[in-house]
This record gives sequence, structure tokens and C-alpha cells, in this order.
Amino acid sequence: MGGSLPGAIRGRSAIVAVGNTAQGTVPGISADELAVEALRVTLAGAGIAKSAVDGLITCKSYGGFGIDTEIGRLAGLNPAYSATLDYGTCNFSLHLACAAIDAGLASTVAIVYGTTQRSDGNRFSHPLGRQDEASVYGFLNVAGPAAMAFRRHQHLYGTTEADLGRIAVSQRRYAEQNPLAVFREPLSLDDYLAQPYLVAPLRRADLCMISDGGACLVVASADRAAELTDRPVHVMGIAQQTGLRDRQNADQWLRPWIRQVADRVYAGAGIGRDAIDALYIQDPTSVWVMQMLELYGFVEPGGVGEAFAKGEVGYGGRLPLNTNGGQLSEAYMWGFLHLVEAVRQLRGEAGARQLPGLRAAQYCSTFGFMKAASTILSRER
Amino acid sequence: MTTADDTTFWAQARAGRLVFQHCAGCGYVRWPAAGVCPECLGREYEWKPVEPVGTVWSYAVYHRAYSAALKGAVPYNVALVELACGVRLLTRLVGEPAVGSPVRARFEEVGEHGVVPVFAPLPTAA
Repeated sequence: MGGSLPGAIRGRSAIVAVGNTAQGTVPGISADELAVEALRVTLAGAGIAKSAVDGLITCKSYGGFGIDTEIGRLAGLNPAYSATLDYGTCNFSLHLACAAIDAGLASTVAIVYGTTQRSDGNRFSHPLGRQDEASVYGFLNVAGPAAMAFRRHQHLYGTTEADLGRIAVSQRRYAEQNPLAVFREPLSLDDYLAQPYLVAPLRRADLCMISDGGACLVVASADRAAELTDRPVHVMGIAQQTGLRDRQNADQWLRPWIRQVADRVYAGAGIGRDAIDALYIQDPTSVWVMQMLELYGFVEPGGVGEAFAKGEVGYGGRLPLNTNGGQLSEAYMWGFLHLVEAVRQLRGEAGARQLPGLRAAQYCSTFGFMKAASTILSRER
Repeated sequence: MTTADDTTFWAQARAGRLVFQHCAGCGYVRWPAAGVCPECLGREYEWKPVEPVGTVWSYAVYHRAYSAALKGAVPYNVALVELACGVRLLTRLVGEPAVGSPVRARFEEVGEHGVVPVFAPLPTAA
């Protein structure tokens, strides 16, 4: 915490290519093959030769797939550097890539992720913690702690279910224009409120549905990036914070320690909150979106409903949020597609949902109750 | 061997007592059970009873059964209670106490798990 150097990596690496496979139910292909397929379409789309890749960062997926040693063999790569992270959201992978590039371990790093958890039938029915109390009391699925966190928030701030519902409704509006999205049918606030509870006070639309698919980003040093593309997206600021003590921390499911990422990321990037043109928040549940909107300072505590209603945040608002539809409507790529979308928007490649005049975007994500990270990206360095 | 053996907690609960590991070095009350004190990193401890009272942090009501074993149980609630001793305990609420209200442990049958701690409103004029 204290010894970090704000701004040390500012503009020293850039995302030069992004890509994805089909999303949703993708039968007849393994998780590792999906990761490699995402790598293939990403390199082909950007005109980058496989031989240019000298770093590989993979992400472990459901079932134990996604290990660098397996994917390197499958992809025919002998990179100078490789690593596997045991958790996703892509922020942690991207930060590791930036650190590896800055340390001189590699100059061009492919970050890949593939999963077949929908076809494999994962329902996240296992307890989230190791405690036996989880199985005794039936505390299963992220919906449980998210529902508790939202009810606590209601107790503290008077937040209503309709306030929360505006998050899923806004994200669906974007998804209607996203051919990749799994959920594209319109969702009104009345539709939302008419949905039955899954884990009260949360409904179906507050929780993402697992899906199959693959995604890839290629990150390069600033020098290499200039050789590989004329539209690099610069990594201007990164920050992380953990809450590894878990339930020993007060209010752990409200995750107040995320605020420390906000304290560091804007200063490091030299880009303030007010200069963020599009915001991406990883969303296994809408409750995490609400929490991060508040903890990063975009919305006053308890003000989420008003912020959407007044057009400050969300579809058609001053601050676009999760313009791909997010995990709630697009697909559950563990956050990787949030960064893919942010890069596409900054490069002007977002098709029907392209936003005008974007300069900087921010991506915020969390690994459950354990870790938080954020990245600020910019077209200009 | 496991470093997180909580069988004593469940066995004592069946006998109507709420017990946790108390660190012999610094007195920190551990939960979930662990082989090391997360405060002082000492390994010695003693299982001791605590005052079975706390406050409801929040609760969720499951209308969906996320495992086949729970199909007959929905809807059911799961709560987090902050005990006076500092422990944050997952549990079930009985008698509909509100978030933020004081509760006291009772020991009741829950499904096939036998007698376990549940929490009920603390009578205001006890």
C-alpha cells in the first residue's frame, strides 16, 4: 500500500488487439480450444503474427482448464514468459502483463480465457467459502452474499428494489444493440419488478447467467504497440487492493476496501474521475455494480436509482456504463469482455453501439470478496 | 489433518452451547475455525463459550434451490449475525428479526444437520 509508485506504469504499455469467440452455448469445443480460438481470431483480426507473441497469460477456468502450459502447447507457442492466474476479471491478467512488460520479461503478451462451464453444467451450487456453515444453512451461490449486501444497503440508505433494477434495465438497452449478447429482448423496470425473487431481494435480472466462450487481448510495450497498430489503447493507470481476511473484515460483503483502489488509480493515471467517458464494472450481480459506482465515487451512497433516473449514469446518460450489456445481459466471460468492449469503444469499433468522442475509459472488477482492481485506458498517452 | 476443524463447534451446539476457539496468546476469538490466530499468528487456543447474543447484519431469502438437497427447503433464510464477541456467524433467523436488531441464539433442528444454532429476536424486556 504505502510503497507503491503512483503512475509508474503510466502509458508504458498498450492494448493492441482484442477478440472473442461466439458466446452463450458453444458445443463441441473444449475450454482450452476456445481460448486458442480467441487468440487466433484476435491475431488474425489485427494482422499480428503468432511469432510476435513473446508472453502468454492465461486464466484458470471452471473444471481446472486454462493453464498456461496446456494452452501454450495447444497454441504452438514458446513464449519468453508465461503465467496462469487462478482468478479472472481480466484486470489482474492485464496488470500482470503490464508488470511483465515493464520488467522486460516480454514485449507482446497475449491474455487468453476460455470456458465451457455452461455446456459442462456448472451451476455454482458449491458453497463459496470452505465453512461447513455454508452447507448447513444452504448458503450457496454469489446470489446469497449479494442479496445480503443489498438488504444491508437498503437498511443503511433506504435503497429500493426499483433503484437496483435500473442497473439491469440500462444494461439490457445496450445489449439490444449487441449481436454477441445472450439476452437481447427488451427489459423494462416493470418487467424487472414483475420477475420472481431468486434469492430475495434479488431477481433473475440481477444475476448473470453462466456461458461458454473465449476472449483475448494482446498487450504490448509502448514501443512495440506503435509497430503493431495505429490505434493503440494506452494503459494509463492500474491499482489493486485485497480484502483477503474475508469475514474477519467488518462489512466484508459491502467491500469498503475497494475504495482504496479508487484512492490510487486516478492519481496514478493522471486522469480524474470526471474525465472518464465510459465506465465498465464487472457484474456477476447488479449489486456489485451499485457498490462500485459508490466506492469509486460516481454515485452518492444510496443514490443509484436517482443517478440512473436523472441520466447521470447508464444508457443514454452522461456516463455510459457497461455498454456491451455486461455479464448481466451479454455473456459471463468473467469480465474479459468488459475490457474488450472498452477497447473497441475507444478505437471506434463498437458498431451500432459506438459512443461518440470517447477519450478515456475505466474498468473496475472484483474477485469475489478477495480482491479488487481497476484500470484506466486512454486513446492518448 | 485439517487446520480448520470445526467439529467441536457443531458438537457443542448440539448440546446447546455456542463455543469458539479463543487464542491463548492474544484472546482473539476465531471463526471460521483455523489452526492459526489471524491476529498474532499463534497456534495455541481453547474452545470456550461466548455470550450467545448479537445483531443481525443482514439476511437473504432463498426461493431457488441451488442444490437438489434443498429442493424441499425453499423458501428459507440465511443470515449473518455479528456476535458480541466479534465473530460474524452464518445462521438462520427465526421469528423475523429485522436487520440491525438484537438476537439471541437458540438451538434447533435444521434439515438433516441435526440441532444447530439459529437466532431469534432478543426480548426487549428480558
